[in-house]
Amino acid sequence: MKKLSMPAKIYLIIVFVILYAPIFYLIYYSFNSGGSMHDFESFTLEHYRAVFEDSRLLVILINTVIIALLSGLISTIIGTLGAIGIFSIKRRNIRNILLSLNNILIVSPDVVIGASFLILFTMIGVKLGFASVLISHIAFSIPIVVLMVLPKLLEMNPNLIDAAQDLGATRRDVLYRVIIPYIKPGIFAGFFMALTYSLDDFAVTFFVTGNGFSTLSVEIYSIARVGISLTINALSGIIFVVTVLIVIGYYFVTRRTKFANGGIGRL
Amino acid sequence: MGNTIIQFENVSKSYDDGTVVLKNINFELEKGKFYTLLGPSGCGKTTILRIIAGFTAPSSGNVYFNGKKINNVPAHQRQVNTVFQDYALFPHLNVFENVAFGLRIKKMKEKEIQERVREALKFVNLEGFENREISEMSGGQRQRVAIARAIVNNPEVILLDEPLSALDLKLRYEMQYELRELQQRLGKTFVFVTHDQEEALAMSDEIFVINDGQIQQSGSPVDIYDEPINRFVADFIGESNIVEGIMLEDYKVQFAGKVFDCVDKGMKPNEKVDVVIRPEDLEITSVDKGKLVVTVDTQLFRGVHYELSTYDKDGNEWLVHSLKKAEVGEEIGLYFEPEAIHVMRLNETEEEFDKRLESYGVSENA
Repeated sequence: MKKLSMPAKIYLIIVFVILYAPIFYLIYYSFNSGGSMHDFESFTLEHYRAVFEDSRLLVILINTVIIALLSGLISTIIGTLGAIGIFSIKRRNIRNILLSLNNILIVSPDVVIGASFLILFTMIGVKLGFASVLISHIAFSIPIVVLMVLPKLLEMNPNLIDAAQDLGATRRDVLYRVIIPYIKPGIFAGFFMALTYSLDDFAVTFFVTGNGFSTLSVEIYSIARVGISLTINALSGIIFVVTVLIVIGYYFVTRRTKFANGGIGRL
Repeated sequence: MGNTIIQFENVSKSYDDGTVVLKNINFELEKGKFYTLLGPSGCGKTTILRIIAGFTAPSSGNVYFNGKKINNVPAHQRQVNTVFQDYALFPHLNVFENVAFGLRIKKMKEKEIQERVREALKFVNLEGFENREISEMSGGQRQRVAIARAIVNNPEVILLDEPLSALDLKLRYEMQYELRELQQRLGKTFVFVTHDQEEALAMSDEIFVINDGQIQQSGSPVDIYDEPINRFVADFIGESNIVEGIMLEDYKVQFAGKVFDCVDKGMKPNEKVDVVIRPEDLEITSVDKGKLVVTVDTQLFRGVHYELSTYDKDGNEWLVHSLKKAEVGEEIGLYFEPEAIHVMRLNETEEEFDKRLESYGVSENA
C-alpha cells in the first residue's frame, strides 16, 4: 500500500479526533466527582457504582442484552434461510426484485419503520413492550443478515453442491454439510451486525416500546431530557467499551475464518 | 452384452432457449475400460458426463446403468463418482474429511472410514497428508485428493471432467501415466473428458470424438489416428495435411495435380474425396525423387524434429515433420508410401465407414 503523505496523515488525525472527542469527553467526565461536565474535581468511580446500584437501570440493561441476543439469533436463522432461498432462485429478475426489496428495508429511515410497526402492533393488538420490541428488532435485522450471508453463497463454487450430491449427499446433507459450513463466516458476521444494530437502536424501539419496558438507548434519552446526570456518562462509557469489545470479537472471528470482505457500514 | 455398464440410447439434450447440445447420442461402455470423450469446448462432451452423473437430465432418450434405466435416478443414488475440473474439494474440510465425505454420508463405522480413507490416500500417494488443509495443497496434490475422494466410495464408474487442464505441462504428463495405471489397478470404468488429443491418445482404450453434439467417430486411439473418418477428426487428432482429391478408381487417387497409388477402395469412380497425409509420413528427398515438389516456407525446431511448412505449386500447404533440416526458400521433394495416403469420403456415416474398412481386410495400416 502507498504510504500516506503528511497532509493526508494530519487530515486523518483531525477527522478521528473530531469523531472520537465527544465520546472521550463524555467518558472523561464520568470519573468526575464534581457532578458536572466542567471543572474536573477529582477521580471517582461513584457514577459507575450508581449505575450498578440502580436496579431499574440494571433490569433495563438485561432487557437490552436479552433483546439483542434473541433478535440477533432469530434474525440470523431467518435471514440465513432467506439468503439461501434467494440464492436458489434461478430466475435472475425475480432474484433481483427480492434483493431490492430486502435492501429497501435497510436504507429506509428508522422513523418510518418504527412508526409503521407502531401502527401495525396497535392494529393487530400486540401489547407494546418486550414482544413488540423483539419482533421489530428481528424484523429490521433480517435484511442485514441476508446482505451479509448472500455474498458468501454467491462466491461458493457451485460444483461443491454437485460434488456433494455425487458423493451421495441428499439435499439435507448438502445444506448441513456443505452450504452452512461454507457460509459460516457470513452467518457470524450477520449475527454480530444484528447484535450491534439491536443494541444501539433508538428510533424504532422508541416507537414500539410501552409502559414498564425500556432499552438502554431509550432510557438514556429520557434521563438526559430530565437533566444532567453523570450516571449517563458512566453508562455510555460502559456501552462504548462493550461495543469496542464486540468489534474486536467480530474482527477475530472473521479473521480466523479468513473472511476478507469486512462488514458493511451503517446506512 | 453382459459386460455393458453404461448405455446411451438416442439421447438428446436441448435447453429451454432452444440451444441443442446433444443430438441423438448412442453408445455402450464396457466394464473396466478407459474411455475418453474428446472434442473442442462446447461440443457437448461435458454434458454427456453430467448426464451420466445425474446432474443433468436428457431431453429425450434413455440412459441405462447395468441394464437398468436411470433417467430419473438422482445423482446421490448413482454408483458413479466424479472428479471435477476444478476438483470441487470442500474448503472447510481437511484432506481426510474430504475423502471421508461420501463414507460419512453413508454412516459407515468410524473404524472402517479410517481404514478406507487411508487406503485411498495410499492409492494416490498421499500418505501422511491426512490433516492438511486443502489450501495447503498444490494443484497436483488437490487433483489426487479429488481422485481419492472418488475412488474411496468404490464406484462402478469414475467420471473425470478435464482433470488435468489446470496442471502445468510436466505434471500433466506424469498424471497421464498415473491415471492410466490407477485405472488398470482398480479395474474400474473411467470416462475421461478432454479437449487435449494427446491425453486422449495416450490413455484411452477407446476414444469418442465429439463435435457439434454428435459422436463423429469412436474407436481405439490407433484406429482414430490412422483412419479418421472425416476432415474434422483428421484435423482435431494430431497434425495433418488435408487436401481435396478425386478417387479415379480403386487404389488410384488424384490430388495436387497428380495420380497416386493408394490402398483405399470401395468408392464410386471419380468420387470427390478428402485426402489425409500425416506430417510424419512425409519424407524429405531430392526434387527428382519426390512424389511432390514443394517450396519450404518456414521451419521450426520442435526438439525431436523439425516442423516444416511447405507449399506446392498449386498453393496447398504441406506440413512435414522431419529429422533432417531444410533451407527456407529451397525447393525439395516429398516422398511417401501408398499406405500413408488416407482417403475420406465426404459425409460418410460411421457405420458405412466401418463397413468399408472391414471390406479391405487388414490391408490399411499407415
